[in-house]
Amino acid sequence: MAGKEAKRMGDRLAVAAENVGIPFISVLIAIAIASVIIWIAGFDPVAAFSALWKGAFGSGRQIGETMLRATPLMFTGLAVAYGFRAGLFNIGAEGQLFMGGLAAAYLGIVLAGLPAPLNIAIMLVAGAAVGAAWAFIPALLKAKVGAHEVITTMMFTYIGRYLVSWLVTGPLKAEGQIPQTEKLPLESTLPRLHEVFAFFPDSRAHMGFIIAIVLAVVVWWILKYTTLGFEARAVGFNPWASENSGISVSATTVKALCISGALAGLAGVTEVMGVHGRLFDQFSSGFGFTGIAVALLAKNNPIGVIFAAILFGALSSGSGTMQLEADVPSKLIFIIQALIIFLVAAEQLAKWIVGRTRKGVTESA
Amino acid sequence: MLNDIITPDLFASAIRMATPLALAAIGGTICERSGIVNIALEGMMLVGAFAGVVASMFFGNAWIGVLFAVLAGALMALIHAFASITLRADQVVSGTAINILALGLTGFLMEVIYGHPGTTDPVARLLPLFSASPSGDGFFGEIWRWVYSIFFSHTPIVYMAILIAIAGQWALYKTTWGLRLRALGEHPRAADTVGISVTRGRYSAVVISGALGGLAGANLSLEQVGSFTENMTNGRGFIALAANIFGRWTPGGSYGASLLFGFADALQIKLQLFRDVITIPSQFFLMLPYVLTVVVLAGVVGRAVAPAAVGKPYEKG
Repeated sequence: MAGKEAKRMGDRLAVAAENVGIPFISVLIAIAIASVIIWIAGFDPVAAFSALWKGAFGSGRQIGETMLRATPLMFTGLAVAYGFRAGLFNIGAEGQLFMGGLAAAYLGIVLAGLPAPLNIAIMLVAGAAVGAAWAFIPALLKAKVGAHEVITTMMFTYIGRYLVSWLVTGPLKAEGQIPQTEKLPLESTLPRLHEVFAFFPDSRAHMGFIIAIVLAVVVWWILKYTTLGFEARAVGFNPWASENSGISVSATTVKALCISGALAGLAGVTEVMGVHGRLFDQFSSGFGFTGIAVALLAKNNPIGVIFAAILFGALSSGSGTMQLEADVPSKLIFIIQALIIFLVAAEQLAKWIVGRTRKGVTESA
Repeated sequence: MLNDIITPDLFASAIRMATPLALAAIGGTICERSGIVNIALEGMMLVGAFAGVVASMFFGNAWIGVLFAVLAGALMALIHAFASITLRADQVVSGTAINILALGLTGFLMEVIYGHPGTTDPVARLLPLFSASPSGDGFFGEIWRWVYSIFFSHTPIVYMAILIAIAGQWALYKTTWGLRLRALGEHPRAADTVGISVTRGRYSAVVISGALGGLAGANLSLEQVGSFTENMTNGRGFIALAANIFGRWTPGGSYGASLLFGFADALQIKLQLFRDVITIPSQFFLMLPYVLTVVVLAGVVGRAVAPAAVGKPYEKG
């Protein structure tokens, strides 16, 4: 009995080690390959990565900047991860993020004058709802006619971006030359972290960071302990078996993609409320797409998303310093992102390499 | 006003706009027929467009640019093939990685080579194949203008795309290669049993699709624009996938569906010229191809049947 217990414990540890170990090794290999690319391009990899580290963690202000960049990535990472758990690939988190941002930029002005906590609550809920709504048609098309969500959510991203582009240059444009919405009043913005807790006094990190972490725990709980989460996981694991055991695959699909959209919408809301205080065309630097890398690196575990988002947040905040001090174009971080996705997705790579060398050894022997 | 909108050059423009979509869509057809999903066409096009411009600049010859575009697309595809066939990774995830890699690599190299982000210096473009300009009056003059615009006003890759669609359609249904390809996507185990190498067949299909994606990129950068701009593919790889589905996984159908999307694009460009008369914001015109894609998918997918084994890694039993 005790032996069995110990074995189960050991198995769990092995799974945990694999879930942490593979992403960790993937990141290291990605950085190694990126170093080679930097070197071939004629730069100094050591200088590049030490500048990157300095830019990401060099001071309180920089750590705050990393937290700031990690915040939207936690939301989009959770969004993509939740979809993956239900067997759905929400590649269009970027579009849902734009619509969430739009809702916040509009409501923040309309609600001016209400007490801040009420304002913030309404904006968060509305932004999530609009994000969910933007995922609803792709969800319905997936459930009813089987239209692949990768194409439809991607198309909705373009449609949403053009919609926002029109609104910020037209109906919602603030006075002045720049195409952007009006600045939100103070009661419609998220307080900075140093205004609530007393650390990193000169950083721009805002309460969205805390909200994202709380939400990660909530999503983890939903997936693990609720019927909603169980059905999503069951459908993601085996839709045919789920349907046979009485779970409606189409209803679960619609719910899961809409929840994913809501989470992505929140990324837009908190960017508008916490960082820019308004909406404009370029307010997201591809957070929806980086969310895919975050989710994959976290192996779709909501708690893992927190750490993966911080890693990508650090890459993002450090890349500016890297460009400034080591001349390495900051686009490098996209290459690192892609490499990490490859390495995590191709778990077989390690096994394949091991298999090859073994084969080679036995053949030559 | 309708006379100003429905002109020969509207249709010529539709064929031009359809070309990159059609090449990528045919690539998608060949790839998916072999059982491999390719959402990385977007990235393969982007890398092709970039490689084409850089090679054209270095060698001062647009045709060498085309060659490098095709090679670059094939090389990206080789990565996708390795990940999804040899390593049996999730094909959609691998495709996403390629797309992000393409965005990062082209942006990174752009700054390394040109020293700035955004758009490259202009390079020599591929010019229209026939240089006659239509003249003549009256009814026959009008007819000649239409015929010239639609059939003879194009750049070389536009004609190549039409030839590839015809050749692809023929090859898929009339050759042993086509029969084998279809077998791989429908029932790889059966193909394996009769001695067709699933791995080799799928590798070659993925690489061909990448080469076509690269050629599509060359059409964008070396024929339509004459330079490279970051993310200039703008979702065309995804629209091409929809065109492939709408064309029911056939090269001819892919070309036909691409014509529809190309026409939507040509129409929205044309309508933007009449901004004074049609007071609809330009963003709504720009949305048109994307909206059309969703509508088309909503309408046809239920009735179009994908290759049975698409997306599933094959393990030798």
